[in-house]
Amino acid sequence: MPFEFETIAALATPAGTSALAVLRVSGPLSSGLANVLFGSITTPRMAHHADYRNVGGTLVDDVVFTCFVGPNSYTGEDCLEISCHGNPFVAQMILEDLFARGCRPAEPGEFTKRAFLHGRMDLSRAEAVMDLIHARSERALAAANHQLRGALARELDVLNAILINILAFVEAYIDFPEEDLPPSDRQSLLIQMDSLLARTRSLHATKHYGAILREGIITVIIGEPNVGKSTLLNILAGHERALVSAEPGTTRDYLEEPLLIGPHFLRLVDTAGLNASPSPLERRGIAKSLEQAESADLFLWVLDATQPVPQLSPRLTSLMTQANTIAVFNKIDLNSAESATPPTAFMSGRISAIQGTGLDELKIKIINLVESFRSEQDSDLIAISARHAHLLTSIEISLQLARVRLANEGPDELLACDLRSALRLFGGISGKIIDDEVLEQIFASFCIGK
Amino acid sequence: MQFNSNNYDVIVCGGGHAGVEACLAAARMGASTLLLTGNLDTIAQMSCNPAIGGQAKGQLVREIDALGGEMAINADLTAIQFRLLNVSKGPAVQSPRAQCDKKAYQFRMKHVLELTPHLHLFQNVVSGLIYKSGAVIGCRTNLGVNFYGRTVVVTTGTFLRGLIHVGKAKSAGGRLGDFSSVSLSDSLQEAGIQLQRLKTGTPPRVLGSSLNFHRMIEQRGDAKPTYFAFHDTRDSEGLFHVEQTGADYIGWVPGSAQVSCWMTYTTPESELVVKSNLHKSAMYSGEISGIGPRYCPSIEDKFVRFSDKERHLLFIEPEGRNTNEYYINGLSTSLPYEVQIELVHSIPGLESATLLRPAYAVEYDFAQPTQLFPSLESRLVENLFFAGQINGTSGYEEAASQGLVAGINAVQKVRGEAQLIIQRHQGYIGVLIDDLVMKGTTEPYRMFTSRAEHRLLFNHGSAELRYYQHIVNHKLLSISRIDRITRKISGISYWEIFLETTKTEGFSWADLIRQKSKSTKLPRDFLAESKEVIEEVLYRIAYRGYLQRELKQVEKLESAEKIRLPDSLDYLKIAGLRRESALKLHHFRPTNLGQAGRISGVNPADLSILMVYLSSLQRKSA
Repeated sequence: MPFEFETIAALATPAGTSALAVLRVSGPLSSGLANVLFGSITTPRMAHHADYRNVGGTLVDDVVFTCFVGPNSYTGEDCLEISCHGNPFVAQMILEDLFARGCRPAEPGEFTKRAFLHGRMDLSRAEAVMDLIHARSERALAAANHQLRGALARELDVLNAILINILAFVEAYIDFPEEDLPPSDRQSLLIQMDSLLARTRSLHATKHYGAILREGIITVIIGEPNVGKSTLLNILAGHERALVSAEPGTTRDYLEEPLLIGPHFLRLVDTAGLNASPSPLERRGIAKSLEQAESADLFLWVLDATQPVPQLSPRLTSLMTQANTIAVFNKIDLNSAESATPPTAFMSGRISAIQGTGLDELKIKIINLVESFRSEQDSDLIAISARHAHLLTSIEISLQLARVRLANEGPDELLACDLRSALRLFGGISGKIIDDEVLEQIFASFCIGK
Repeated sequence: MQFNSNNYDVIVCGGGHAGVEACLAAARMGASTLLLTGNLDTIAQMSCNPAIGGQAKGQLVREIDALGGEMAINADLTAIQFRLLNVSKGPAVQSPRAQCDKKAYQFRMKHVLELTPHLHLFQNVVSGLIYKSGAVIGCRTNLGVNFYGRTVVVTTGTFLRGLIHVGKAKSAGGRLGDFSSVSLSDSLQEAGIQLQRLKTGTPPRVLGSSLNFHRMIEQRGDAKPTYFAFHDTRDSEGLFHVEQTGADYIGWVPGSAQVSCWMTYTTPESELVVKSNLHKSAMYSGEISGIGPRYCPSIEDKFVRFSDKERHLLFIEPEGRNTNEYYINGLSTSLPYEVQIELVHSIPGLESATLLRPAYAVEYDFAQPTQLFPSLESRLVENLFFAGQINGTSGYEEAASQGLVAGINAVQKVRGEAQLIIQRHQGYIGVLIDDLVMKGTTEPYRMFTSRAEHRLLFNHGSAELRYYQHIVNHKLLSISRIDRITRKISGISYWEIFLETTKTEGFSWADLIRQKSKSTKLPRDFLAESKEVIEEVLYRIAYRGYLQRELKQVEKLESAEKIRLPDSLDYLKIAGLRRESALKLHHFRPTNLGQAGRISGVNPADLSILMVYLSSLQRKSA
């Protein structure tokens, strides 16, 4: 019996109540299902309106469905998309009915995996789709769109071309020792090498920004007890009640809250107050706060405008810089004189969390600071993923070794060996070489088509 | 009336570099073998330059020796100049090269064939193959005689519909002064084998006494010759009467009394001659449709395509000790004879050179090697093997490598035993055959070290070590030689470990070697080992980091090579496989996943689908 991909089905829109929910089906059963379910002869890629009846013949919902005939579909297989009303119960009923009719639940990332397997997209595009799915903010969406259109692919092509050019030169002197080649011009190769290294480094430098786009900016609110950290979190989040009621009786000593500020996605983390003479219980809370601080992208250091600026612990001093910290003077309602704000090493904002004043200015300061995270080179928004970053680290090592050999007239065959390693690693980013581990890792981190 | 000969195990058609290795391998394995050649006097003829080896090719020759072939020892014993190329670079890319006495090379090879048991030589032009139910069963010859054999190895070089061009003058022939075979081409096509055209060329030959060597730069051989054959493990070879004759060479050993080559350059005048006569060139006037090699351009190509280059280097190479004929390496052309004279005379040292033979281009049929299995057996006709230029390659060494493998596999086929398949990571022969059968070629294929992914592992001295398993499995060498190789391997391992682990003055010996400290006096026992053992050990130690990295990659690669693709696989029915890939896989029938991945047009996604499919097969059978 010939092997066939099984037909998979999943909800393509976020679970929960919404106007519409979309279910996606991919695999050989798709077109048959459309016929069985909706009877009429359907035109591919055209939306049709029909009743959805389950296997028992019960009317579930009236739906809009669209058929796609492989390979002209997202996955490259026959596909069926069903839009039903956004009632979670209805969507679940339809999904269960699809399973009853021979589909199986899609694994995480499986739609995109199939698209990749059927040659519908290359690896860097597939990863961009994953980011698109995960895009939590406009900025991340823009970067994901950009990569999908091939900004990363194009930059890789350029890097590959430079690399291949250098390699070709080196190889020529190895393979044609008897030929009358012009004297080997290492100087020009060095210039190309430096440009290659610089471009690789700038690509690599987008790593941090890339992580921020994907994971959100980890924004840690720190400060002494009772300076208004939690109040700041609540007013920034804008739903104090939800926060409190979401975690009733929590024993955890820090809280995390997702937040959109301008185009940026922040993960706001409230921490336990840094008490100078803590009780044993507080001590544990402070330890946790410091742990949070270790992974912070951004610090909001909340200060009491009526009090002198306290001393920061050495550990925090080493983590907090002008580039990642905003000093937030709270309680300006109690001490409104701007001149009364004592100076700190950081950019500062003045707010009254209680009265809600100074918040817009603070938000602008946060946006500006986050924008500055992006290095100038990534104006193209090539924000690389953690896997790309990992490969680029190895590429940089290989290229640096190669550069040393180039500069010091090292043996050509070893120089070539390092250059080839780099080339192979570049291939690991674009997916043009076989590497099971790469595929495994990528598809494991894929989320299904939503 | 037809005379029908005995039924041979292996019939080899063609006595060039591929043919001699094929028939020797078969006969040495004990198979009854027949060599049919159009002319016994041109056995193992060096139709182009009188040299063996060179970059990547030298490594091939050493590998041929490791697998029991004859080319290496034949070159050593008939060489008149030895040079090791790339000495400024590391051992991995150093290649031995030798100028050989063209006639001595041929005569010795012919004599070796004559003395080989189970081998029957016969001069007769093969006019066609005899097929029976999808398999080859023998050959027809133009004598009207049929020869029957269980397997046939076709090594016809440039002789299939060979067409020689000198300017506008055309004549049939596989080589100047030789015949051409049209009916054999027809016979191959009858069996469904597709033929295409390639082209190659050769420069003029000149008379030494008419040359002014003072105007050229002398290129001497190495004082210490680097041999092709593994003389440290080989059984002792007696010299034959043909090698280095004459009173001057009494007591001659390979590498003594070497002769020189000479270097000169083209001039602006040469360029003018070529450019003003381009329309008369067979290549540039559209007379030739076959594709020539990019790496070996004609002088027309050199001036046209690299016009910014002021001058082109030429080597004047002696064709032998007992002849005054010289070969002008680098001056291949299809210009008319009268223009050739003008061109030659424009070159310093050759101003009044007498031409002995004109340069010419030759067009010939080749069969795209993607029509072959990795064993070099035809996918279309059972028991039919191809080797050499008919597979689209160029070069004596490439031809001999294939001939050797085809000869061995023909015998294995007759005996129903496992075929010799050399993996790409084992040596250049593996790369060569894998490239040919999986990718095919659009120009005469020549080996380069850069074609090998793991060339650091392919230092020429390690050929026997790398091929050890194949040698043992297929019993390719004498027991005594295998024994010596085994001892060599254990000696190398011993010293590698000893030097890595034994400390002296706070460092391991290996560290000191890597630090290149000149004062290091290596252990006396180690230095008492053979030169071959010492060189290999030092290479492994000095390049340890890089070699280990390569070995790691090979290991990864091998895991893909280990995923076998069953013969019964019906690619056309595997859902999800792109049509293009399915068709390619259906045609190539790769034996493992690694091979599948090297077929052009088969992408990683297709491999993933194959993997998924294979695991589903396993689940079903479990």
